[in-house]
Amino acid sequence: MLITPFLVGVPFGILARETGLDPLQTSGMSVIMFAGASQFVALELFRSGATPVVVIATTLLINLRHLLMAASLRPHFGDRPLPTRLGLAYLLTDEAFAMGSSWYRRGGRGLAYYLTFAASMWVLWNLGTIVGVLAGPAVPDPRVVGLDFAITATFIAIVVLGIRGRRDVVIALVAAAAAGLLRGMGLAVVAVVVAGALAPLVARLFLRGEEPTPGPPAEVSR
Amino acid sequence: MTEWVAIVGSGLATYLTRSLPLLVTFRPGARLRAYLDDLPIAVIAALAGAGVIAPEQRLAFGPELLAAAAVIVVARWRRNLLLAVLAGIGAVALLRAIT
Repeated sequence: MLITPFLVGVPFGILARETGLDPLQTSGMSVIMFAGASQFVALELFRSGATPVVVIATTLLINLRHLLMAASLRPHFGDRPLPTRLGLAYLLTDEAFAMGSSWYRRGGRGLAYYLTFAASMWVLWNLGTIVGVLAGPAVPDPRVVGLDFAITATFIAIVVLGIRGRRDVVIALVAAAAAGLLRGMGLAVVAVVVAGALAPLVARLFLRGEEPTPGPPAEVSR
Repeated sequence: MTEWVAIVGSGLATYLTRSLPLLVTFRPGARLRAYLDDLPIAVIAALAGAGVIAPEQRLAFGPELLAAAAVIVVARWRRNLLLAVLAGIGAVALLRAIT
């Protein structure tokens, strides 16, 4: 899991150079945005000559899903001082959310787990970007060895290991199918936020009358 | 210069989506709390589903779907994150090589 931001950061650095960004802009993007998927999309938009307004609006749409993640983590972060919360927000990525929220669901408390993981993600993503900028196209294609699938596989495994009962299975299946269909229909920028926000509500219709919050999921070895 | 405007603007937009729910102090009621409790699995499954069913931005029933099945089987069987991920990576590499 921790090696994936590095392995995705490297091709990002390479692609950014090929798009015509200078090393400072490329690294600046990984530091200022720190948002894998939308950084690749931004490169694609730069390439097609999009204006800054289009790039910013697209980024906002793609990253709306973080609203859901931050809202879901909020109760677990507790009443920390504002600067702490602002720092936690800066480090919030899909991966940090996935690992952090499954930690809290297994009964974990405090910030240490989330912070350690999220900060490591930041370091490795930026390191990967710099290596990509410097190494250029000498790096082999991660597709050949299946490494591009690592992040998706991690999300699948986190969902499977986090299942607490029939209710979670229904929510996960509805969300996965809806997001896949929306993305396949060309609505990639809103697929995750729409599917993620609606799946719990749709599942509630299917499972009317069932007890909502069962206990934590079974023990996970890692 | 326009690149920097786009980069800084996109950074601010991203940060807004990450920080907004953390700026307010809120005590969710039981219904909202139940919804927020369901969100992680929904959002993570949505991320996974998008990568499995539409890996290249269009619907495809390719190696990713079978590899996803491998991840699910190994995760349920061994209850180990790393083993499940490795099984998925191996399956997708193998399936791409033979198709």
